[in-house]
Amino acid sequence: MPELWELPAEEIGRRVVAREVSAVEVVDSFLARTARVEPLIHAWLELFADEARQRAAAIDRDPIGPLAGVPVALKDNLSVAGWPLTCASRILSGYVAPYTATAVRKLLDAGAVLLGRANMDEFAMGSSCESSAWQVTRNPWDLSRVPGGSSGGPAAAVAAGSAALGIGSDTGGSVRQPAALCGLVGVKPTWGRVSRHGLVAFASSTDQIGPVARTVRDAALATSVLAGPDPNDSTCSTRPVGDYLAGIEDGIEGLRVGVISNLDASAFDPASARVWKASLDRLAAAGAELVEVEVPSLDASVAVYYVVAMSEASANLARFDGVRYGRRAETADSLPDLYLDSRSQGFGPEVKRRILLGTFALSAGYHEAYYGRARGVLDRMRRELDAALEKADVVVTPTTPGAAFRLGEKVDDPLAMYLSDVFTTPASLTGLPAVAVPSGFDDQGLPLSLQILGRSFDEATVFRAARAFERQAGWVVAPTFREAVAS
Amino acid sequence: MALTLEEVRKIAALARLRFTPEEEAVFVGQLGKIVDYIDQLQRFGTSSEGEPVLEAREAEDTAQDCLPRGDFLANAPASLDGFLLVPGVKGDA
Repeated sequence: MPELWELPAEEIGRRVVAREVSAVEVVDSFLARTARVEPLIHAWLELFADEARQRAAAIDRDPIGPLAGVPVALKDNLSVAGWPLTCASRILSGYVAPYTATAVRKLLDAGAVLLGRANMDEFAMGSSCESSAWQVTRNPWDLSRVPGGSSGGPAAAVAAGSAALGIGSDTGGSVRQPAALCGLVGVKPTWGRVSRHGLVAFASSTDQIGPVARTVRDAALATSVLAGPDPNDSTCSTRPVGDYLAGIEDGIEGLRVGVISNLDASAFDPASARVWKASLDRLAAAGAELVEVEVPSLDASVAVYYVVAMSEASANLARFDGVRYGRRAETADSLPDLYLDSRSQGFGPEVKRRILLGTFALSAGYHEAYYGRARGVLDRMRRELDAALEKADVVVTPTTPGAAFRLGEKVDDPLAMYLSDVFTTPASLTGLPAVAVPSGFDDQGLPLSLQILGRSFDEATVFRAARAFERQAGWVVAPTFREAVAS
Repeated sequence: MALTLEEVRKIAALARLRFTPEEEAVFVGQLGKIVDYIDQLQRFGTSSEGEPVLEAREAEDTAQDCLPRGDFLANAPASLDGFLLVPGVKGDA
């Protein structure tokens, strides 16, 4: 019989509501598991064990909601009133969130139990979790490898059985890529589907909150909970939210799945190429009709993304100046020096690099050549993807070019790190929903992943396709990660 | 295009960041490599005819409670009589 920490979130919620198990028992099971794995993984920045137990006891008195008693790992850029929030940056040392993010409020209303703050790349800038100012998180599948990023902490926590669900933010792939590297399902909802009130902004035109989960059903359930309008976020859509679990088992007989013809599979390593081909075969075996689509500007996506995201980041991060909140440099004796010293001492190298690039792309003389050009190519990419999604119901790509890389492997080569976002950035830039779903293993036994993109606000079809793929693949996560953590 | 040391210093000043000479040398090399990569955008066609896909609406113009001043100032590095406290623009007199 599986331990409680091995159960899907959906099953935990069902059992707690049916009073077959108590939320306190569930939380204790996850905390006991965490005590065992956390010294190896370092996923958490802070655990609130006592608060979680008290919350679980309160849920046991009135167990309602689809996530009743489900332990959740929150990325450290989501506000919880009274909890520290640092974005894994020194510049937010000592900051305590004065209010709770809408997405977190929705989780609590659904009965979830927040276990704590999980690690991330500083200000969500990174693909490996290595730019965190506080600690290096390891991949539960292989402790010498990165968990991905920037939501590496929530992903590693879920993969290690330390939380049933993780909630992260995805700006250019920051939920999908760590989900892929940790053998999990990761969701980037349509831009505007989930409120960002209480999420620290990085690049506002692409930031979205989304879950990492062990199963497609859990990811769909969590997205249903998170989605919906919010008067506190005027970019959040008022469109009604569907129940993403309804119809999720309906299969993909006759669904048109777009395969990008200009996607260069010959550039993949042999294992990734093999798994990619097998993924397409599985979709066809599940009844999908594979159709060729063209997205010629796919090759430009990383360049477009980094110009757009860094430009927005340079503006969004101007607010961290040592005046209103966070860390203030004690060395400054004038206001200009206060700004310079607080920012220079508070931000890490990757954040500085991105602020510099964004400032450059927006500066006089270069604005049109870089930011203007990037917006123009982005507009073209949007038109190409819209056309592809007229010809097909969903479009598939690998989620990442390869499996989890080694710690330190790309840390001195920022461009190499950025290129790992080649497949995730198009959905971010165009606002389309996308789900990463485990697709197989490379030759070292590390997980690989398939990405499924859908039409704007058509999360339901994306989840249905992901679930059919998951069923066809017969994916079983638990045995491998259990061995990985035990070794 | 390669970025010069002078350009990096100018951008750093605009971004309110200060670097040591060693950091400057690293950033000149790294930023130049990234900008070289981004320059490939010139090879791709653009479009400016598309309708924006991203939805946004104006917030209702209704009065509502905001964060209490005390809660906000609890995170301030320094405050005095309900206001943020900072050093003088030209230094403390």
